[in-house]
Amino acid sequence: MIRLSGIRKAYGKTLALDELELEVREGEFFCLLGPSGAGKTTTLKTVAGLERPDSGTVLLGGEDMRGVEPYDRGVAMCFESYALYPHRSAYDNLASPLRSPRHRLPAAEARQRIGAIAELLGISGLLDRPVGQLSNGQRQRVALGRVLVRPARAFLLDEPLSHLDAKLRQQMRAELKAIGAVQRTTTLYVTHDSVEALALGDRIGVIREGRIVQTGTREEIWYRPHDTEVARAFGRPRINLLPGVVAEGGVRSDGGVELPVRTRAAAGTDVLVGIRPRDLALGGEGHELTGTVYITEVLGRSVEVTVRLGTGQRRVSLVAPRADAARLRPDDPVRLVVRPENLLLFEADRPERPGRRIETQP
Amino acid sequence: MRKRALGWLGDAALILYFVFALFPIAWMVILSLKPADQLFSTYFSFSPTLDGYRTVLGDSEGIPFVRFFVNSLVVSVGAVALSLVVGLPAAYASARWRFKGSENLMFTLLSFRFAPELTVIIPLFVLYQKLGLFDTYVGMVWVLQLVTLPLIVWIMRSYFADLTPELEQAALLDGYTRKQAFFKVALPLVKPGIAAVSLLAFIFAWNNFVFPLILTSNEAQTVTVGALSFLGGDRPKYNLTAAAALVSVVPPLLLALTIQRYLVRGLSFGAVKS
Repeated sequence: MIRLSGIRKAYGKTLALDELELEVREGEFFCLLGPSGAGKTTTLKTVAGLERPDSGTVLLGGEDMRGVEPYDRGVAMCFESYALYPHRSAYDNLASPLRSPRHRLPAAEARQRIGAIAELLGISGLLDRPVGQLSNGQRQRVALGRVLVRPARAFLLDEPLSHLDAKLRQQMRAELKAIGAVQRTTTLYVTHDSVEALALGDRIGVIREGRIVQTGTREEIWYRPHDTEVARAFGRPRINLLPGVVAEGGVRSDGGVELPVRTRAAAGTDVLVGIRPRDLALGGEGHELTGTVYITEVLGRSVEVTVRLGTGQRRVSLVAPRADAARLRPDDPVRLVVRPENLLLFEADRPERPGRRIETQP
Repeated sequence: MRKRALGWLGDAALILYFVFALFPIAWMVILSLKPADQLFSTYFSFSPTLDGYRTVLGDSEGIPFVRFFVNSLVVSVGAVALSLVVGLPAAYASARWRFKGSENLMFTLLSFRFAPELTVIIPLFVLYQKLGLFDTYVGMVWVLQLVTLPLIVWIMRSYFADLTPELEQAALLDGYTRKQAFFKVALPLVKPGIAAVSLLAFIFAWNNFVFPLILTSNEAQTVTVGALSFLGGDRPKYNLTAAAALVSVVPPLLLALTIQRYLVRGLSFGAVKS
């Protein structure tokens, strides 16, 4: 279990972590998602003991880690920069933890473990090479191997797949969670890729400007995003956010568009209505919207259609099966359908903070 | 056509500079090969002889030049070794951590190189006499720290600063202590730097003149001062001084040639990011 409470860390005048609260449960695979500069790496290094927080406590397995050196914390970390020892071979890099005083294994046993890990990561043929001769993707796998090769109280992984090419990344993503050690070990996984977070995380924490904005399962993050920023962060194409005003029986947007969202918010409140592109369909049951096709873009078996809503200039995008969208041309009139329960409601964005989600009523 | 003329002009300029730069050395070589009775008679026509070298290395004339040579080796190697032992951890610490007064400390170290040695030599002389360090190896190795330590600390500091701290952080998480991270990870990576800076420090220590001139008399005297002893007496023996000087160039030269590969890599390391 990893628990951070009230962690503050400043570098000069820049506040990296601002009263950060985070709990990763025992054995859980937790994804920390955020843009660069949000404090993800600082969070990991604080857990590892490489950064000393200005205030706040770090608990590992219930023990306060104040004053405990990194090598006594029993965590393994994969650095985004790989941090491989450039003067040694891939094998020696993988063997490094197993030769250290704290995780020492007899040489034969170590060789066996390293062989197994190398096999798992597909780097068996590279073990004799100096790491300087490896590609970035290969280095990243060696760095991951160095973490997995020994038992740990927790794995801390800093964007461990970011430098792999797309195909390998997808393959490794699937394999990573199947690795026995990863399944058994509490893992804190940092990424800026929401697809990765959704695919891997038992739970996801969204970090922004040194604070955790929302923590939850992928369903919670998807269906009940804390604010418009979180809603925008997940899902491609991005969520449609239509500005509107709360009115009798729903929300009125530009161009005569009415959306059936019921809320306790006072009439006249400025809001944003969120509609995921995959929740809009070109036909079927639900609330109807009309518009004209603006542009279509083929994404393999489906098509992203951008539609100008009503008589106004507001555009929404949706993803439709190719069969339904194939005949659409720009300026064709279309009828869109959305189920009212899929509509999300947010406060309007303000300069100082993104709009928070507002509870809707059925 | 013009290009070629420019090329020739360039070559000519280079040759001119080459002659200018090497002429004193050629002059020394000629001087060292002259027999004692032809020293002042001719410039270029003389019967060359190795007698000068024989005399210098043969311990005659009452001047133990070989011992001076050994002294120089002991004192210079000792000074560099001590500076490495003290300076490498200091350089590492100052590159990795800022502590109260760290910058002032580093500046103080550098300031040893600002002041001419002559400003401190008189009090040092008195102190050395009182402490029994006068004319000893320990005394010379110690005083040469003024020359070698700032050099080694400042250059090695920039080497360590160029290493990403994440390498040592990775070692800490692999289960190594901070000391082991320094010895097993950081130190091997700055080896080329250590080679280059050690050579430079060795040359500076070897060539130092003022400290051995004032702080030694015989037992710990080095070649720089020793070579001049041949100028004393009723007749200055320039040929012997020249031979002694040329012999004393050999160790730094050999050292530079053997670690040349490291030297180029070492001195360009900090400048170019990989």
